[in-house]
Amino acid sequence: MTSKQTSGIGRRTILGALAAGTMLTPFGFGAAHAAEIEGELVMINWLAGAQGEMMEALQADFVEKNPEITFRNIVPTSSGDTRGGIRTVLLGGEQADLLINTWPAFRQELLDAGMILPVDEAWEENNWSDLLADSWKDLSTIDGKNYGVTYTFGDRSGIWYNTGTMEKSGITPPETWDDFIAGFAKMNEVGITPVSIPAKIWAHAEWFESTLLRVAGADFMSKLARHEVPWTSPEVVTTFEKLAEMLKADCCLDPNTMLASIWRDSADTTIKTGETGYMLIGMWLNTRAKQEYQLEPGKDFDIFQFPAMGMGYDNQSMVDAKEFNVLSSVKNIDAANAFMGYMLTADAAAIMADYGLASPSSAVDPSIYDPVIQRAVNEVVSAEKVHFVLGDLLPGDLVHEYRIQIQKFLQDPSDETIAAAVQKIEDVANSAY
Amino acid sequence: MADVTATSVDGSKGPPIGAMRLPRQLSQSKAAYILLAPLLVFFGVSVIYPVIETIRLSFFEIKGLAPAKAVGLGNYFKLLSDENFLRALRVTFVWSFSATLFSVMIGWALAMACALKPRETMVFRVLIFAAYGVSEAVVGFIWLGIYRPDYGLVNGILGGLGLENMQQAWLGNPDTALTAVIVAYVWTQVGLPLMTCFASIQSIPRTYFEAAYIDGAKPMSMMRHIVMPLSLPGVRVAIFINLLQSLKAFDLIYMLTGGGPVRSTETVGFFMFRESMLNFKLGYGAASTVVLLVAVLIVSTPLIAQRTRAVK
Repeated sequence: MTSKQTSGIGRRTILGALAAGTMLTPFGFGAAHAAEIEGELVMINWLAGAQGEMMEALQADFVEKNPEITFRNIVPTSSGDTRGGIRTVLLGGEQADLLINTWPAFRQELLDAGMILPVDEAWEENNWSDLLADSWKDLSTIDGKNYGVTYTFGDRSGIWYNTGTMEKSGITPPETWDDFIAGFAKMNEVGITPVSIPAKIWAHAEWFESTLLRVAGADFMSKLARHEVPWTSPEVVTTFEKLAEMLKADCCLDPNTMLASIWRDSADTTIKTGETGYMLIGMWLNTRAKQEYQLEPGKDFDIFQFPAMGMGYDNQSMVDAKEFNVLSSVKNIDAANAFMGYMLTADAAAIMADYGLASPSSAVDPSIYDPVIQRAVNEVVSAEKVHFVLGDLLPGDLVHEYRIQIQKFLQDPSDETIAAAVQKIEDVANSAY
Repeated sequence: MADVTATSVDGSKGPPIGAMRLPRQLSQSKAAYILLAPLLVFFGVSVIYPVIETIRLSFFEIKGLAPAKAVGLGNYFKLLSDENFLRALRVTFVWSFSATLFSVMIGWALAMACALKPRETMVFRVLIFAAYGVSEAVVGFIWLGIYRPDYGLVNGILGGLGLENMQQAWLGNPDTALTAVIVAYVWTQVGLPLMTCFASIQSIPRTYFEAAYIDGAKPMSMMRHIVMPLSLPGVRVAIFINLLQSLKAFDLIYMLTGGGPVRSTETVGFFMFRESMLNFKLGYGAASTVVLLVAVLIVSTPLIAQRTRAVK
């Protein structure tokens, strides 16, 4: 059975929850903590690098508070789209309690396969509604049942830059698309490549998606994600044309260099060395910049929101989120619920904040965040509408074709390529749903 | 294993080394089957069963974690009209042919050169062969650095030679990516042909060279008329193994390009991985696996048959 899920998140409830942050107490954790929990908690945990270290720190803190608990992490082996590795683990018969998930489309797939359980009962028992806005619940609700507990979220429309490169170029963060394009000449003059687009695997689609949000808005993106509108729609074509403006204004290195680089390369040249001006990626860059580059958020690097295009959707943002799903193979449901409750506490949020990530929990005093997270949270909160990352909502073979076609467009941003690209994506979409 | 079948210059055939037949009494006795049984059971469980299971899967449509749906030969028909699969077939042909040709040619040439000074080149041979034993993931990491567009070794050398206009992102350019990966792959594969050809050359009796010397043959003439023809058995073995290796190559492509840019380095093996493990269309991926298996059998059967005839 296939059923529909939501991909948009209401702004008001996020705002309400975050605004109430310092006034609420972590009832959820209190309730879970009171229960006797013991034994092994098995988690399918694919987080790597600094995010992996963050999860280790969270687990260690949880174990310190619950000494009878031990963790066993099952780490799927994969690169690129981690869902392949997770599927292999699940079909291979691994028995786990919790899964970290960041793909709404994958949640649906897991549900269709009978591999996840609803969390409504635990949600009510532990009063998680006091800590998590209804929007987060709505995000992981399918056919009236909730299947996930969100523990972090990020602003995916934030453009990252090194403050030094802006000073060197003599420009300030642009607010409009025209200013954004106009700044390229100044950056090029001082030897800075304005934009870094890592197009080897998936990260180049970030630029397409944030541009599409400005051109057509969140509602259109939701329809596109469900294939209720075709990829040949004028809005998609206009999005490509806007990106072509950027490419023709000497934004980037040659296409082959883009196609040879991954997001970490862009992070190095944009945030660490300042050879390139801007990049677009998720909040995990904050984690990398703080933990691996030892840079200070807000001082050494910062973000600004994707520039306005004046097409009616300038106050919208792209977001991502990570959640826990309870697997149907769960053996230690009490510990699983307790850990999900813990992840909504101020203690967990403090650990995540140290690593540069934001918690959606209202138990968090936003002042604990560094300036970059604060800015990202404010942008999401003040957005008129937010939309989940498009690529994470598309079926696997469609998302692959979509990324390939954007690669082709980067090589040749002509009208002919655009027409061929949208038609090809549409053809694959017709067989993918 | 090096094939050191020796066909003497006068045309008489001696028993090939390593191909000695068992006494008739033993090979026809029940004991032979009893001795083989554990191996056959192990082979059946570890090889035959997965192959049968893969063939079975290829008749189903499996999307993600959803239940399987029988589609008969549907996946095979779909493969035949899938432009990505047909491109992967072409890439596989170019890849396997080029990788085998260059690794064997270079290995053979190095073997002949090393045969001139066997003792002095031992360390060199060991080093070359060591690359064959290194994990392709490690090799991939090394070559990623060599091909880096910014401070990679290749572009660095080109810059040093004043050829800045030739500097580029070797792995990001669809026109150069496949060649770049083949070069890296050949680097890993040269060791085997070097060793098999060298072993063949070493097995050539000294008397042939002595006779040629007495007859006034020059070194190059001896190389051409003695060494090259009599080292051919080693070359054949190297072609056989390298070709099969190249057909199943995956790790290095995965590390260097991930099948890109724009699918320009996507072989059938990589196509199979993408469909099965990334798109998780297990049935469709299994069908492409079966096609690859058939290709491997087509390539290997004549060679195995030829070797079997040689043994008989």
